[in-house]
Amino acid sequence: MVIEVDLVTVLRPLIALITFSVVAPLLGYIEGKLKLKRLTGAFATLGLLIALLLSIDMPKALLTEGAVASLSGFGPPLGVEIRVDALSIFMVLLFLGLGLLVSLYSIKYMEHDTGLDRYYTMLLLLVAGMIGVAIAGDFFTLFVFWELMSVSSYSLVAFRKYRWEPIEAGFKYLVMSSLGSLMALLGMALLYGYAGTLNFHALSMIFSTSSVDPFYGYITLTLIFVGFGVTASIVPFHTWLPDAHPAAPSPISAMLSGLVIKAAIYAIARSAYTIFNPLIFNYGVLFTVFAVVTTTVANIMALLQRDVKRLLAFSSTVNIGFILFGLGVAAYGLRIGAIAASLMGFIGALMHLLSHAIGKGLLFLAAGSFITRAKTRNIYDLQGIGRAMPWTGASFSIGLLSLSGAPPLAGFVSKLLLLMSGYSVGDAFMNVVTSLMLVNSVFAAAYYLRLLQVCVIRPKGIRAETSKEVSALIVVPLVLLMIALVAIGCYPWPLIEVAQKAASILLPLP
Amino acid sequence: MEYLPPQSYLALSLILLAIGFYCLVSKRNMIKTVIGLEIVTIAVNTAFMSLGWMRTYPANFIDPLAQTFVIISIAIGGIVAALALSLVVDAHQHYKTLDLKKLRRLRW
Repeated sequence: MVIEVDLVTVLRPLIALITFSVVAPLLGYIEGKLKLKRLTGAFATLGLLIALLLSIDMPKALLTEGAVASLSGFGPPLGVEIRVDALSIFMVLLFLGLGLLVSLYSIKYMEHDTGLDRYYTMLLLLVAGMIGVAIAGDFFTLFVFWELMSVSSYSLVAFRKYRWEPIEAGFKYLVMSSLGSLMALLGMALLYGYAGTLNFHALSMIFSTSSVDPFYGYITLTLIFVGFGVTASIVPFHTWLPDAHPAAPSPISAMLSGLVIKAAIYAIARSAYTIFNPLIFNYGVLFTVFAVVTTTVANIMALLQRDVKRLLAFSSTVNIGFILFGLGVAAYGLRIGAIAASLMGFIGALMHLLSHAIGKGLLFLAAGSFITRAKTRNIYDLQGIGRAMPWTGASFSIGLLSLSGAPPLAGFVSKLLLLMSGYSVGDAFMNVVTSLMLVNSVFAAAYYLRLLQVCVIRPKGIRAETSKEVSALIVVPLVLLMIALVAIGCYPWPLIEVAQKAASILLPLP
Repeated sequence: MEYLPPQSYLALSLILLAIGFYCLVSKRNMIKTVIGLEIVTIAVNTAFMSLGWMRTYPANFIDPLAQTFVIISIAIGGIVAALALSLVVDAHQHYKTLDLKKLRRLRW
């Protein structure tokens, strides 16, 4: 059952974020006049905290199929619609939670930069855009918030524009990603030309009748997949990512890698599963093949890197491959009738999305605090730095172990679910693909453990000797993320339940 | 008054799309890259309008949803162009050139 709710009630966190982002430049001006430090940062963190508190009654919608809100007089099928279901809540709480910790980390980390009013405005707008993407009920709303998210992330990548690297990386990211958005827009235009509506629910009704021309459907699906796939950094559209992530300030790398590419994967999943019924359109094979190519290529590239942030950036692409694999198994399993495997694949994809968002956010933040102390991004210059900075080193190790899939951490649960779902489909194609993913998973563990060995286990290098632990404001978010990884690994059941609820709403189960 | 049918506008948008992609792939000047991006934006907007019109064709109006979407998309295109050009200005201050081949220190 879908319940109707008031639009303002649903949009409260979004309204709070946008209000705070508008006021932030004013605070920046006052900060400059009064020579106060950290005022804007504290203000932005407060804004994110308030948005998180306002969205706390959102989980009530978990009890139903979803909550729908629309502008009165301009409702569906033509007007704007906001639709909150289990998947949206999962994403919104993840965006707000990690966004809050990143903002808290930025207060101290970014204090020597100029133009912080712009930084926090963009950060708040970035989170607002991602929340909007997650709660959109039609393509119009999704596209508007998508561009809000994209534009703020372009300017955040190029934030330190007095250096050459952010300018080049930002320009490259802007050109590639806005070309991708335009391809997705073309796909939406084709959908509109066919169906006359852009509402997800109405489109799913129209496209689930078997009279749809499959050729038209596949072209549209490809355009949307490629369009959002550029931002999700699926190989071969990933080339912006290894440049943009190292060039951005570390908190922004954590936001990009933890959340922005997840928002893109969310957009792919939402548009593929709601509109194109897997029983009619066979995209499971497409997703799994892209997943294998993505993980393999990015794994090989990651193995060759000497720059710690570049290595972590390639590893984000690897993990996007894993999430895409779960989505592919879900579609493929539905098509051949393996319902249990399909559900497990989707749950695995969502859990991996969560564990990678937390783990990679943690790793980028920890790498950022290593870099502030050691003034280098080369792995071998960072030798033994984890020993000099015990808290950061410990959280960095937990993050690496979680991503490499060591029990009892979050990454273990999600990788286990993904690989089990692949094998339990039980046909030859899926067995081969899952084995390739298993090999890739082990391969990925190899360079995570090498990073762990060099940065934490080896004796202190020259630069580590002079480094000391960063201040408490930076350590607190790291420790909180580390605790989250351990807690999810030990007790994942409530989250798995939410993921199952999301899967049962999104997948057209018989 | 006589109008061309919407199919002709769709064909125009495909031609524009081809021109835009050619511009993005072949031009080395950063400003020309931004122009290519804008041509692709215009092509996609035109495609949206003509596909919207095809649904109502013999009648002489386009559904307001398509029009709203395209107006928003034009505005977003303007924002992206402004941001891209500001990056071009920064790049020019650093390198005193706009040639993408010369400032390609990153591996593409």
